[in-house]
Amino acid sequence: MLPLEHLQTTMARSVLAMEPAVTAKMLTAGKADPLARLRIYQNNTRSSLTAVLMAVFPVTVRLVDERFFRFVASEFIRWHPPVESRLARYGAGFPRFLKTIDTLSDMPVVAETARLEWAIAEVLDAASLPSRTLAEYDNTDLGPSPDILLQPSLRLIVSHWSILSVWMAHQPETAVDQHSAWTRRPERVALWRSGESVRLVLLDRANFAFRHSLKHGLGLEHATARALALDPAFDLLSALVRLFGDGLVTDVRIPAHPLSNRWR
Amino acid sequence: MSRAFQALAIPATAGIGLRSPHISEMLTRRPAAGWLEVHAENYMGDGAGVEALERLRHIYPLSVHGVGLSLGSAQGLDRDHLERLRKVCERFQPDLVSEHLAWSVADGAYLNDLLPLRYDEEALAIVARNVETVQDTLKRQVLIENLSAYLAFADSSVNEAEFLTELVAKTGCGLLLDVNNVHVSAHNLQYDARAFIDALPADSIGEIHLAGHAINQVGADTVLIDDHGSRVPPVVWTLYHHAISRLGPRPTLIEWDTDVPVLDVLLGEAMWADMLSASIMFNRKQAARQAATAKPRPISTLLSFESDMRSGMPVLAAFAAVKAGQAMPAAMPPVEGGYHAAA
Repeated sequence: MLPLEHLQTTMARSVLAMEPAVTAKMLTAGKADPLARLRIYQNNTRSSLTAVLMAVFPVTVRLVDERFFRFVASEFIRWHPPVESRLARYGAGFPRFLKTIDTLSDMPVVAETARLEWAIAEVLDAASLPSRTLAEYDNTDLGPSPDILLQPSLRLIVSHWSILSVWMAHQPETAVDQHSAWTRRPERVALWRSGESVRLVLLDRANFAFRHSLKHGLGLEHATARALALDPAFDLLSALVRLFGDGLVTDVRIPAHPLSNRWR
Repeated sequence: MSRAFQALAIPATAGIGLRSPHISEMLTRRPAAGWLEVHAENYMGDGAGVEALERLRHIYPLSVHGVGLSLGSAQGLDRDHLERLRKVCERFQPDLVSEHLAWSVADGAYLNDLLPLRYDEEALAIVARNVETVQDTLKRQVLIENLSAYLAFADSSVNEAEFLTELVAKTGCGLLLDVNNVHVSAHNLQYDARAFIDALPADSIGEIHLAGHAINQVGADTVLIDDHGSRVPPVVWTLYHHAISRLGPRPTLIEWDTDVPVLDVLLGEAMWADMLSASIMFNRKQAARQAATAKPRPISTLLSFESDMRSGMPVLAAFAAVKAGQAMPAAMPPVEGGYHAAA
């Protein structure tokens, strides 16, 4: 008789349709064939996890056709099953897996759009803190380089492909124009949670770098310097007004250790 | 983060499983629902659903039902997941916390399904250790739910009911009796569903689950699939009647996870559960009064109403049986005292 851990490992591999498989003599199912009953568990695992992936990557489903998506999802599940039971975290590796699929090698926009969809899933599971207004700091001396804390749900994605355009063109209520959005054009996307939905906006290089630096705690001075290096016409005041207007600022603080803001 | 919630005890009446399509309606309508149960894993992040549950928790008593702890895993518990469960309990302060007698993690993979154990001494020691770890971490008793199964392990030395009874004795855990699971497993593995219920320690049963299941025909094999995708069928109402007759009223949850209907359907099923439970208890008291003043009548044969599928409301058949079988409760011992869910 196998030790329980060995038995469960064998059973788990059988459920994922991998070797070595559990044998019929280890199982019972009344008068039924136990290996036929084992297929119920195989089907439950595959179909429920496929449903999870389809819920996270609906635009990818539309891009590649549902039948093909199901095939790819089933391969992904087999080789990369969840490592934890919090399924909100399952699918992080799916965009990278799509890049390894030969059939999709001439359509890199598919994996890139999946990357955007995974970011949307992360945003929806992240906290949304109360936002601050610029007026709250009217009479506050915050020094030359305050820390500007942004919403924890903020994600910033840059792609060589027009992923936001593709994503928008494939929303359920949108008639898909197969030729409109598949262009190789860099897009920089900021997305964050707003209540139950996600806001997505395109940014230019300077504003993307500005928000990226702030998100990583590098302080206002460094963020501004990076933005100006990319675009000498970068307008700091407009960028700050937009940041507050988007509800992205959760706090503004004088850094406890100003040197920590320096780029190293 | 911890918030101070008013303690709301779960009553021995019916509640519903909170599903995402119903959250906004629950918040705006605030319908009369005895209590709510949520899957712990859906509230381990910080999304909008978590904020909504914090608001609902002020209105409804709450039960947290875990599906991912994998208490039967021989490799032990995922401590990170247990910590996330602890935080969910700290955040929402539920009156009941439950998990499954099952495993879903092995070889580094989470299978997103609840698999049966080989019921033997080794498994009992593993599950008992895991349950004790959970109870120590959460600083509370947890209820352990019986499984719906499609197969069993040939080398099991005891059955599931005996295993659960031993688990209760070893750990002091409570039990969550899923009546639909009992029926599904009893059919699929060919044992007596009522005998399973009767074998469990009645005082330990702190909650009941009711749900629908699918019937699949694969060749000559008719297999019941625990899909939680339809109304509670007559055969499960029958078994619920048997359970309540034996246990007395218990917090009873209507579960519905696939093809989730409009909220009123769930609330309607919960209402039927309450009415059936109340009807059983009323008839029992009436029969006890009659027994005290008259000669005892012969006990009638229990009527089968499992085949009464003509009614659009399957539970009506259960009411008919309660009425027709009024002699039956007189033979049952009276249920003493009230039920305390968190006892």
